[in-house]
Amino acid sequence: MTTEKGSASAADEPMVVDDFVALTYHDRLPPETVRFADGLIAGRIIGQRCPQCRRVYVGGKGFCAMCVVVMGPESEIDVADVGVVTGYTIITPVRYYGQTKTEPFVYASVLLDGASSVLGGQEITGIAIDAVREGLRVRAVWKPPEARNYEGHSTRGWGSLAGGIVGFEWTGEPDVPREQYKEFAV
Amino acid sequence: MPADDIAIVGWGQTPSVASTDLTEPQLCLAAVNDALAMANIDRHAIGFTCSGSCDYLSGGPFVFISNLEAAGAWPPISESHVEMDGAWALYEAWVRIQHGDIDFALVYGSGKSSPSDPALLFPQQLDPYYLEPLGLDPASLMGMQARALLDSGTATERDFAAVAARSRRAGAANPKAQTLPNGAGESDLDIDALLAAPYVRAPLRAHDLAPAADGAAAVVLATPAKARELTDHPVFIRGIDHRLEPHQPGVRDLADSPSTRLAAQKAGLGANGGGVGVAELYATSSAQELILRAALGLGPDVSVNPSGGALCSDPVMATGLVRIIEAAQRVADGTTRRAVAHAVNGQVLQHNLVCVLEGER
Amino acid sequence: MSARPVAVIGVGQTHHKKARADVSMIGLVREAAERALADAGCDWADIDAVVLGKAPDAFEGVMQPELFLADALGGAGKPMLRVHTAGSVGGSTFIYGSHLVNAGIHERVLTVAWEKQSEGNAQWGLAGGRSGGIGAGGAFAPFIRKYIRDTDAPEYIGWMVAVKDRQNALKNPYAHLKIADISIEKVKESEMLWDPLRFLESCPSSDGACAMVVGSEAAAAAAPNPPAWVLGTAVRTELSTFPGRDATRPQAGVDCAHALYDSVGITNPREQIDVAELYVPFSWYEPMWLEGHDIAGPGEGWRMVDDGATEIEGSFPVNPSGGVLSSNPIGASGMLRMAEAALQVRGLAGEHQVEGAHVSLGQAYGGNAQYFSMAIFGSTQDAVR
Repeated sequence: MTTEKGSASAADEPMVVDDFVALTYHDRLPPETVRFADGLIAGRIIGQRCPQCRRVYVGGKGFCAMCVVVMGPESEIDVADVGVVTGYTIITPVRYYGQTKTEPFVYASVLLDGASSVLGGQEITGIAIDAVREGLRVRAVWKPPEARNYEGHSTRGWGSLAGGIVGFEWTGEPDVPREQYKEFAV
Repeated sequence: MPADDIAIVGWGQTPSVASTDLTEPQLCLAAVNDALAMANIDRHAIGFTCSGSCDYLSGGPFVFISNLEAAGAWPPISESHVEMDGAWALYEAWVRIQHGDIDFALVYGSGKSSPSDPALLFPQQLDPYYLEPLGLDPASLMGMQARALLDSGTATERDFAAVAARSRRAGAANPKAQTLPNGAGESDLDIDALLAAPYVRAPLRAHDLAPAADGAAAVVLATPAKARELTDHPVFIRGIDHRLEPHQPGVRDLADSPSTRLAAQKAGLGANGGGVGVAELYATSSAQELILRAALGLGPDVSVNPSGGALCSDPVMATGLVRIIEAAQRVADGTTRRAVAHAVNGQVLQHNLVCVLEGER
Repeated sequence: MSARPVAVIGVGQTHHKKARADVSMIGLVREAAERALADAGCDWADIDAVVLGKAPDAFEGVMQPELFLADALGGAGKPMLRVHTAGSVGGSTFIYGSHLVNAGIHERVLTVAWEKQSEGNAQWGLAGGRSGGIGAGGAFAPFIRKYIRDTDAPEYIGWMVAVKDRQNALKNPYAHLKIADISIEKVKESEMLWDPLRFLESCPSSDGACAMVVGSEAAAAAAPNPPAWVLGTAVRTELSTFPGRDATRPQAGVDCAHALYDSVGITNPREQIDVAELYVPFSWYEPMWLEGHDIAGPGEGWRMVDDGATEIEGSFPVNPSGGVLSSNPIGASGMLRMAEAALQVRGLAGEHQVEGAHVSLGQAYGGNAQYFSMAIFGSTQDAVR
């Protein structure tokens, strides 16, 4: 704690005290996240297919939130590491404690072939950021096998790809017509 | 005052464990699905949903948004959330169902204590200007409270140990409670053994303090008419109320719980425990149980915490709702015709909720 | 039992600023609460229950701060409840408070919503303490891009909303941003933060609080100032993301609006509602909510903006207070929408009063555009015609 400025009497000069608190949380990853993480290390992207509605979730959480039914190991299938950008924005990073980004970056949603749920917050590389567009055909850029790890996984949110994949790059193929992914836009 | 006695027609709770691999949404899912199955209604019959959870406990902003995925929020639902124990979510749902335009409400509360250290976390719940910088942990505050109770001359350390021994024996028979050592006896010898343990915060020993746990609980509420359609043994909420005390422990008599007494009065509990056969009290220390018994006027004939209570399992943010479930269970199965459940919010009994449950008149 | 009538009998808010260093969190909530009590002509002892709302606790770094704030709000001996439904929380907090009166449990309830963003870092809070946080603008920008693409809206529509709300804020003594020389040029030339959103199309970070006293018919009759009758309320929530979700026109927002309109007999919202306070933290959400709540047809929302219909003198004024674009104490922003909507039908909105406002709409949204809380206020109990 550091005392920045103090005054007990002058009403126009409030006392300001910085009180920095550090709390540590140790998350235990659930089994489906561990299997997903191990899949990334092995070069696979594992999805979970709901036994009821047949939707395929990438980074499955062990249940389908739409049907509210459990999805176990038997529901798991591999999905492709290629897909389409369904929506994006370009973000100018805001400064805050812990932020390491300094340059504008692309924040894109990617729908992998065979998946029903989009992966939000993906970086698109190998193309100028002002050339990123909806409908862009992209392929995962894998880390070298020896560099893959358990990075980014947590018990919250949809699964992170960071343990195996650094981002997505343009495949060079023609854009996907909007009609083909419109249902999943953004 | 509202006229309708809303009924509890279904409930579910996960086993409380010190640490689970399941995520909080998965815990919620299990509890919610059990509650709906017991009520024997489809989730789309629910007219209002309310949950209780805490971002700080779970370690991220908006934890209730993830938990929502367990509630079946598609198609969209009418829903709210309290940053409190699920017992207060039940209160909000009870208010909502009074309007008469819905038949059923779903309530759930959840929390995972295992990822963090309560001694470091809970000081963040205190006044940030005057108390938090002191680093006061919950056990220390409870120790001060237990000391105040001893100094009042109404209880002894042996009374504390007797509460712990009785709770542990009860908890050993509860499959949802944690399995704790020394769980099977409440003889003088058992109590002597507990008293031989070292202090954690004098005058409290480890068995005097609730073990934080991971868990979730869910309840389905129904209008009286719907409840009678669904079950021959509806459990009615005859009264429910909650009251707050000042935050600063220094301005309160920690050996008493006037807010519990007031909430009980407003909930229509009645004098001398109001004839309840069972009381489920959210006491996070053995001393607190004694304080709550006195505030509610519970006599020696009342079965207190037959589930084992929070001293066996404290799935924070669900524990209060679990008390209501355990009390309702004992009304439903005929153990008692009338029961009282209590829940707490904040530290050393700052904010207390009292719920009076009965079977058919 | 059926719900009994409920009225807003007192409204109070703080002067919203980037940093209210002159007050603690306690001082902030009390400032709003005392103004609401004064408006309602009552004292702390007349309040039966206190309801508090705010966005994530990480924003100020205090776990469940209502536990210590309740002392300053006369909470001792009363029921207190803390609501948290993300950005919609201010609306939900008010709605729960009104339900306590509707259900006949209490006569007068004090609802308070607040945020003191200067005491923490909301961007850090939203990012969960990690790098690469996108901020709320980053989350909503893709939805806005889709709206623009779906409706062929010209890009100046966002600039127009940004200018209109800042001009309205000049008439609101409590507003945070006072940009006297705001202009289309100025908005257009401001920095691009989250493509297509520019700096001046985005809400500020504010310290501020809002309080409302809600009461029964008897409480309204005893109050010195005219009431705003709470004719109807609705809340709806959907999942934050799921396959096939329409995030531009979330179904929860559609359902919430129709549940509300149906409950009060509104069949033509654009004609029957005189003024709306909508939660517009980024300029494009004005046309998006006009369409998302079926006030305007598909692609008609931006045309209403273009035609000037949403200006204070227009046919359907939106955010005469200056809205979230001018003051954004996050947890309070939703309640400010309710409070400002109530002030309009009470005729107490001062310089930003819409002439002849008898029916008003308050709306808040939150999360990933998935939480909605809405209410209709009337100058009389039969104001909807």
